[in-house]
Amino acid sequence: MKSRQHVVDNLNSRQHIVDSKQVNTKRAVPASYIQSTVYCLLLMLFTVFSCASQKERIFKKDKILMDTLVTITVVLGSKDTAEKAIDAAFSEIEYLEKLSNHYSPDSEITLINRNAGISEVKVSHDILKLLEKALYVSENTEGAFDVTIGPVIALYDFHKKIRPDDGMIKKNLSLVNYRDIIINRDRSTVLLKRKGMLIDLGGIAKGYAADKAAETLKKQGVRSGLVAVAGDIKAFGLKPDGKPWKIGIRNPESRDKEDDIMATIELEDMAISTSGDYERFFLSGGKRYHHLLNPKTGLSAQECRSVSIITKEGAYTDAFATGVFILGPEQGLKVLEKLGFEGMIIDSHGKSHLTQGIRNKLEFKRTVS
Amino acid sequence: MSLRELFHNTTLADRILFSLMIVLSLSGIAFIKDIFPDNSTVHIYVDGHPAYILPLDKNRVVSVEGPQGKTVVEIKDHQVRVIESPCNNKLCIQTGWVRSGAVVCLPNRVVVTLGNPAKHKKTVDATTG
Amino acid sequence: MQQQDKYRIALLSAFALGLHGFENLLPSPIPWLRLGLANIVTLITLLLYGMRPAVMVTLIRVMLASLIAGSFLGPAFILSLGGGIASTLMMGFVLHIAPRLFSTMGLSIIGALFHNLAQLFLAYFLFIQRIEAILLITPVIILFGTLTGTVNGAVSALLMKNLIKYDQKVQNVNEIK
Repeated sequence: MKSRQHVVDNLNSRQHIVDSKQVNTKRAVPASYIQSTVYCLLLMLFTVFSCASQKERIFKKDKILMDTLVTITVVLGSKDTAEKAIDAAFSEIEYLEKLSNHYSPDSEITLINRNAGISEVKVSHDILKLLEKALYVSENTEGAFDVTIGPVIALYDFHKKIRPDDGMIKKNLSLVNYRDIIINRDRSTVLLKRKGMLIDLGGIAKGYAADKAAETLKKQGVRSGLVAVAGDIKAFGLKPDGKPWKIGIRNPESRDKEDDIMATIELEDMAISTSGDYERFFLSGGKRYHHLLNPKTGLSAQECRSVSIITKEGAYTDAFATGVFILGPEQGLKVLEKLGFEGMIIDSHGKSHLTQGIRNKLEFKRTVS
Repeated sequence: MSLRELFHNTTLADRILFSLMIVLSLSGIAFIKDIFPDNSTVHIYVDGHPAYILPLDKNRVVSVEGPQGKTVVEIKDHQVRVIESPCNNKLCIQTGWVRSGAVVCLPNRVVVTLGNPAKHKKTVDATTG
Repeated sequence: MQQQDKYRIALLSAFALGLHGFENLLPSPIPWLRLGLANIVTLITLLLYGMRPAVMVTLIRVMLASLIAGSFLGPAFILSLGGGIASTLMMGFVLHIAPRLFSTMGLSIIGALFHNLAQLFLAYFLFIQRIEAILLITPVIILFGTLTGTVNGAVSALLMKNLIKYDQKVQNVNEIK
């Protein structure tokens, strides 16, 4: 401590401290103590603030695309990078929609359909891949999944509740045969052999779009995300709390309640799709007419109420869900086991058929009706 | 010592420090609102663009113009429903009252989403089926 | 340490404790958004007598205050101690490194800033593990800290000026004698 004289000297200075040199020699605290304190304080500050800015959060955005609600969820550090990544993924889906929408007059599919029985059409890489995958599913479901079902499904109007008579169905059934899709890889072309054939990618396009959107997200640097093109979902990575994405499977019995979930499952780098008789349908004369038509009969498949499938690719979960639905519970389950997919089939009596592996992964909720 | 004297006794460093701290804390307060997730809000989008962002706790009826016409949305008792819509299938109206998730009128390009209330723990991240 | 120094420290600690007690009597809507009046004493001690006395005054004040309040070794004590030590050390450090850079007011703001930062830091690591809660209140706390630091700084500056006057008066008296 300084003497009184020093105190007076201090106070008389302009500000408050007069002579730092003198002050130094009288001070008892070694510089090293102060230094280490400062380093500690700075270190504390640094860790607190760096942790804060790198904290990853969940961002979600939705958009109407492919005639349905597409919701994309990502785990990132900031809102801006999340928006950028999600918008890029939306653009990719928009691009695919332009190519695959058979209702649109400019899409590549419409071009192929218009040239059915006439000539082959040069197509983009994505359409080529889509059709190749569709053919793979057709071959593995004994033709239950068939994208050439276009002419038959066009006879139904689910909004106006119109169903065709047997004569019309029979006539158009002759145009249904997936083997009549000729793909030439070298020339990148597709040919529909007979006039009047129509390709409808509705049963596979959404799943494929989910895959491509997820790829786009990964290219944008997203390490964990969820793409839901309506019910065709692709999940990758883990949530910030370290857990996988949790997907709910809707109860086919109580479709009117938006959030009535019958079971949940955690997905790690997998896709899931569900085909159900409640998605596009109408009731007439006590019968349910829905959009999952059997390519052999042209009529709505009756044996199942809903089918959910899990595997790596969304294109396959989408297409196989349709195929397995049409094949029915027994044959469908065999196909799944053979290909190593996991799945759950609810048959027309409400009984559930599960693949071996999915039993432990599903968490059934008590249904509230 | 008057305020002016007091001010003159401050150094440049003082003033910079003071201003900096004030600015940082005020902007921090402003940004805090951004970080936190929506607390019970209803978002109404038309054609992908946000048309309304409304709180869930105030009863009201709003209408939005879509390509096909007017869709009318009602918020009441912390629930949302679509009352009127020019679409063919009226699926959006048939959905009835919802507390969470979304109601969509595809033909009229209207999407009504409900932000999750902070207390409500969402059980699933997405639904299939 | 001379006897005189010990007396000085004791007296200053008493002042600090007194101010702290007085401050607690003032009503406030938010429990721990306090004025920190005791910091005025700490700052003045630092300016007049140096780092060690200032640290001692802070330590004694925090200990006694928590003993009296009955919260010794409790969370409030830890936060007070952490904040007080951090703020005192930091002010001393700045004085040591760049004596003329900041005035009394500036030092007070620095002290308040580090007092709050240390408390937020300790609160996060020891008590509330949720970073969102901490981040939510940080800007508000910094804002109030800056304002109270400024006010305390003004009071400290005023005090210093008056201390000069008093000292000169006394000296004059001595000279006359």
